[in-house]
Amino acid sequence: MGDFATRGSDLMAATEGFKRHGAHSYVAQFDQTERVVILNLVEQIIELLAERVDHGHEDPLAAMVGITSHDSPPEDEVLHRLLPNAYADDVDAAEFRRYTESTLRGKKQAHAMSIRIGLKSSPEGDIEVDHNGANDWLGGLNDIRLALGVRLKIENNNYEHLELLSPDDPLRGVYAVYTWLGWLQETLLAALMDEISE
Amino acid sequence: MAKLADALEEQIQAIFSGDTPWVTIVWDDPVNLQSYVTYVFMELFGYSKAKATELMMQVHNDGKAIVSTGSREEMEHDVARLHEYGLWATLQRGDQI
Repeated sequence: MGDFATRGSDLMAATEGFKRHGAHSYVAQFDQTERVVILNLVEQIIELLAERVDHGHEDPLAAMVGITSHDSPPEDEVLHRLLPNAYADDVDAAEFRRYTESTLRGKKQAHAMSIRIGLKSSPEGDIEVDHNGANDWLGGLNDIRLALGVRLKIENNNYEHLELLSPDDPLRGVYAVYTWLGWLQETLLAALMDEISE
Repeated sequence: MAKLADALEEQIQAIFSGDTPWVTIVWDDPVNLQSYVTYVFMELFGYSKAKATELMMQVHNDGKAIVSTGSREEMEHDVARLHEYGLWATLQRGDQI
């Protein structure tokens, strides 16, 4: 599992993360850079999770109730992490995927869209969410971190290859964003836990 | 307490009716934060903070933990919800662990 996330980066030092704001209400304030970075990432996730276009033999009635003709795991490594197999057995996994993958894509897109709508409707970067909104943020931020984690090849708490990146390596910026999003998630979790323990 | 007794009764019934209970397993993952995994267990299963933390530590230390038990349909539902929140979960028959 991931370590307790630290803020990590000086690039993103403007916000204080999420804080409790009365009962079942959580607020955060993002500056323009942060707002644009999160918007950009959630939009990429929404696009990535869009349905696979199949080869014209999709049954329209089956598609309406969320049954798809594809049952193989996604070839893309990131998509495979976001939509993993539910069974170790390939036949069972394929059957389960056929009936559920479409719904799972939709739910993950809904988390990301909730974040997108929140940021889009607040050009100043002020965000206020209730309990369900907080869960959308947690799930959506987590999907972004899972996606970045695959690209950064984060395995078994080994960050050495990332700490040693040269300053002009583009992955260094990606790693800074990954670390910052983990920190942001922690602030929201702390606010939620604070409320639960009362 | 009542909930535990119900769950136990369900398992005993399943054993005698020949239906083997199924289990949901969560696997360790290098990205998901410990506090997040604990929160997801509390939120999805209604577990106390103590129980959720214990399961999270089991995933962290042993590489996996059984987080729920029940019928195949129930476990498919649990796995789908865990996947929605990005946890790495699978289900299998309880006698094949």
